[in-house]
Amino acid sequence: MNAPRFQWWLVVSCVCALAALALMTWQIFDPTVWPVIVAMSLGQVLGTASFAAFGYVVFVDYRTRHRAEKASPPIKAE
Amino acid sequence: MTLLTSPLAVVELACAAISAVILVAYLVFRPPLVRATKIGLLLGLGVFPIGAAFSGNVQGFEATKERVFCGSCHVMSLHQADSDDRASGSLASRHARNPMFGSENCYACHANYGMFGTVVTKAGGMRHVWLYLTEYRNTPVEEAKKTIHLREPAEMNGNCMQCHSTDDTLWRKVPDHRASLDDARTGRMGCASEGCHGLAHPFFQAPAAGEKR
Repeated sequence: MNAPRFQWWLVVSCVCALAALALMTWQIFDPTVWPVIVAMSLGQVLGTASFAAFGYVVFVDYRTRHRAEKASPPIKAE
Repeated sequence: MTLLTSPLAVVELACAAISAVILVAYLVFRPPLVRATKIGLLLGLGVFPIGAAFSGNVQGFEATKERVFCGSCHVMSLHQADSDDRASGSLASRHARNPMFGSENCYACHANYGMFGTVVTKAGGMRHVWLYLTEYRNTPVEEAKKTIHLREPAEMNGNCMQCHSTDDTLWRKVPDHRASLDDARTGRMGCASEGCHGLAHPFFQAPAAGEKR
């Protein structure tokens, strides 16, 4: 995964997380049926998905770096 | 407003605000994915949102106990209005005026009791939501008064008996109580029925004897 692809995933993740936070805090100001249900379902799903996307990006980034290091090991001084 | 009365709401808002600041900062500046960015995003996408979600869930569960929550479905608006009416003599309203029940009087009287009472009640609440969406969303209140009944009316006495144990001497001094002790305990005779303490919500039509509820 290249850098622009990382950026795209992280932007999507941030936007989803902001939407999730908005849905989760809506219930505080309007504690009626639909805000509470939406906060505890859609809000949670969006928030979890955004965190999972972040975890995926970090994992792929780590794996890419690890592979690059393996392909070109550091030169040892003689 | 909930915000003024609940520390959980304050915690949720604080976590959400900190998280939002971090996320907006990332969206504006788009820094490269170095260690500091990862830690920042871990806080903004993980730690603070999880804090907001946790406090929000507890806050949400507490909100579902409130009468305002129950009354937010239009078919329950009469129930809510009756409980809010300080001049009403209905059982529901009289219990609402008791500080032990207060704004949570719907939940206090209708929640299942016992070890798994909360879980059973929440599952039953989801059933209510489903029924509201599929059957009652467009039902006029006047019609709902005739069609909405308790699913397990025989279980209701158990909820009354959480406070009115039927064991204390004062309760047993009442001749009608003594005479109906077994029937009250088994649910064959409702405490909140005509002839006893009256319907909890008298504006709702009681199901006829033997009618399937």
